[in-house]
Amino acid sequence: MLIYCIKRIGLGILIVMLAVTLLFFMIHLVPGDPARILLGPRATPELIASMSQQLGLDKPLPIQILMFFANLFRGDMGMDVITNRPVADIVFGQLPYTLSLILTAIIGAALIGIPLGCYSAINRNSLADRVTGILSVACITAPAFVVALYSLLIFAVYLKWFPAVGAGEKGDFGDQVAHLVLPAFAIGLSWVGYLSRLVRASMLEVMGENHIRTARAYGLPERLVVFRYALKLAVLPTVTVIGVGMGFLLSAAVFTEIVFARPGLGKLIFDSISTRNYPVVMGSVLVSTILFVISTTISDLINAWLDPRIRASL
Amino acid sequence: MKKTDQKNATLELSRRRFIQASGALGVAAATGGMSQVVFADGKKILKVRAYGDLRSLDPAFSQGVIDEEIQSSIYSKLIQYKPGREWGYQLDAAESIEQATPTTIKFKLKEGIMFTGGHGEMTAEDVKYSFERIIAEATESTNKPDWGTLKEVTVDSKYEGTIVFDEAYPPAWNIALPYIVGNIVSKSAWEKAGGKVDTTTPSVSGPYMHKAWEPKQRTVLARNPDWHGGSAEFDEIHILPIDDESTAQIAFEAGDLDYTRVPLGSVSNLKASPPENSTLEEYPSLFYVWVGMNVENEQLSNENLRKAIQHAIDVPSIMQASYFGAAQPSTGIIAPGLVGHREKSLVAPEMNIAKAKEYLAAAGMEGGVTVTLDVLNKAANVTTAQVIQATCAQVGINVEVNLHESGAFWSLGDSSAGERYKDIQLILNRFSMAPDPSYATAWFVTEQKGIWNWERYSDAEFDKLEAAAKAESDNTKRAAMYEKMQDLMEESGAYRFITHEATPVIYNNGVKPAFRPDGLPLFRYFASA
Repeated sequence: MLIYCIKRIGLGILIVMLAVTLLFFMIHLVPGDPARILLGPRATPELIASMSQQLGLDKPLPIQILMFFANLFRGDMGMDVITNRPVADIVFGQLPYTLSLILTAIIGAALIGIPLGCYSAINRNSLADRVTGILSVACITAPAFVVALYSLLIFAVYLKWFPAVGAGEKGDFGDQVAHLVLPAFAIGLSWVGYLSRLVRASMLEVMGENHIRTARAYGLPERLVVFRYALKLAVLPTVTVIGVGMGFLLSAAVFTEIVFARPGLGKLIFDSISTRNYPVVMGSVLVSTILFVISTTISDLINAWLDPRIRASL
Repeated sequence: MKKTDQKNATLELSRRRFIQASGALGVAAATGGMSQVVFADGKKILKVRAYGDLRSLDPAFSQGVIDEEIQSSIYSKLIQYKPGREWGYQLDAAESIEQATPTTIKFKLKEGIMFTGGHGEMTAEDVKYSFERIIAEATESTNKPDWGTLKEVTVDSKYEGTIVFDEAYPPAWNIALPYIVGNIVSKSAWEKAGGKVDTTTPSVSGPYMHKAWEPKQRTVLARNPDWHGGSAEFDEIHILPIDDESTAQIAFEAGDLDYTRVPLGSVSNLKASPPENSTLEEYPSLFYVWVGMNVENEQLSNENLRKAIQHAIDVPSIMQASYFGAAQPSTGIIAPGLVGHREKSLVAPEMNIAKAKEYLAAAGMEGGVTVTLDVLNKAANVTTAQVIQATCAQVGINVEVNLHESGAFWSLGDSSAGERYKDIQLILNRFSMAPDPSYATAWFVTEQKGIWNWERYSDAEFDKLEAAAKAESDNTKRAAMYEKMQDLMEESGAYRFITHEATPVIYNNGVKPAFRPDGLPLFRYFASA
């Protein structure tokens, strides 16, 4: 297990470095002079040249990326040229908002989707199963931004149950939770449908296996068979999917953060790409990539922990 | 009734709190839930929307309207824009101010204007420091051009001073003194801070103080107890950065905002069924939108083709399709209400198929021609491009639309960023401006070719007029010069003027807002109704 962990973490670091390098070159391929965009229309050519130098844009691209990694290893993610604040402060200031949004969405989706899938599998072909199936597919096909807009209109404008924009007052946990409900619902809804279908299919497969038949033959209560023997195995692919899904949720968070005018990494990346604020783009891309790698690594490790066969194959 | 804070109605999840909150919401809805500004924790809070986040609290590095909306609430200026429908100014820190000679402005400060943080009383030394640091090379201020020909500020006494220009500079009254570079900072505070500040400020003298900045979430201004003008209206102003206008509208309707600008597309709906206890107002905007044509492009160097395109674009159709009838066709680049605005354009807003075909034939392109139109990927622009495509097709001009995201779009005509500027043919462009005509014409002089003059338009007469008009203090003569400049632009065939857009704003009736004539908010003058 230890060797497996070390291998996964090493691979994760390599993936982060490759992804960041690739994104660095991709960003620079997009036309647009960052110094000119940052300084605005009234900047003189001298000021633009000075800003380019400050950003390190006068150096060749390979040197720029090497400098970025060298600074990174010293713990320096650079300075935001607009606000003159350390990039690390900016990125880590936004990170909790995105993390709380993604985790709330995925945990909420799992808490609803997994039992729903389980129920459908147990009551296969019943009316409830069919209704659940239709609703699940409807949830999967509903784009996050559509759900966001309608949830805003219904729950914020008409019913006024939840606030429409922002992330809540600092230090007021209740207010922050209230501000989290609608955005998390918007990006989590499709995952409810997805997880429920996944768990249903997985449960049906597991329920037909020999060890489940044996457990039933021994006269174990159905509840014990389902939850202890079947669900434990059926949930394995779900864990993997949730790990990978963190990446998708990160991109969904961009739309959601814009629609709900909510701070977060997604909006930060979007804004800094628009303004060609390279230090902030690189810092936020790095942190998002690490986040994605961590989530997939954790899901792999959980899989190995849940399934003795995976541990045995190491 | 007083509107309770949104959070009180949504946080408690117990059944009792839910019923209480539902009851309160019901009563609020019945009696007009959005009738007054928010009272939270006993504070009178005004919640407003800005279209972007704070970037700098230093007037030398302010990046335009967003920063200025905050800075004008926390700093004092000699004069401030007067709220209302017509451009004008009113005294702020100045007790008196006058144009003494064409190149000098004399001012006298009010006594007893205090800077916060123990930085003492405002004196003429502070004014000198504030203005001169912006034009100093060492400061590297991007706002230096706003001060035009400013030479220095001389201190005549503790409260009196003279602003001295190398040449007459009438725009100082419109875009310098009452705008970004007119903000007066404390010399001692700034020197202590190293001569430059970023998103915090060591000292202010306006009605509000900068209390907090939560990046991407809000800027909080708090009442300045030492303000010379008495007591500011609100305990706090929360400025929420919401770039999407539709989101801002939803936030307003949900009661999260007391004021916001709304999308043009919502105006007719909001007029038909406005949210309860709210008021919608429409202001003309200073933005100017036009289709530019690159006169140095091989195809577009043909003046007759450019004129054919001018006549093939139907501006009223664009007003309907892209601006939902909420904006008017423009006659040039200078908006109504400003010196130099033309009552009529040379080419009528309506398309003229016969004339367009005539010019196309004169260009030797009767069989048709294909041109490209570069557009920023915003909804209104895309629709405008589609309308242009459709109307131009009627005369045999096939328009291919290239969409760009903002970073790529704004470097299209930049000749220092590669060779792309040569390939530009038609560009749908939109510039913002400050309330002086010189701010609009400055970008179309020969010197700006390859910088912001993407049409690569060059006319010696235009350049000469542009320089002269900036220094002309007689408004009648000045107006004639700017009108002539727009005539020249239009006669070149390189420009088809589209619109100045509009600024529709909505606010709840508990607020008595204050706007510039272009609809931009002056938060320092906002009050309770």
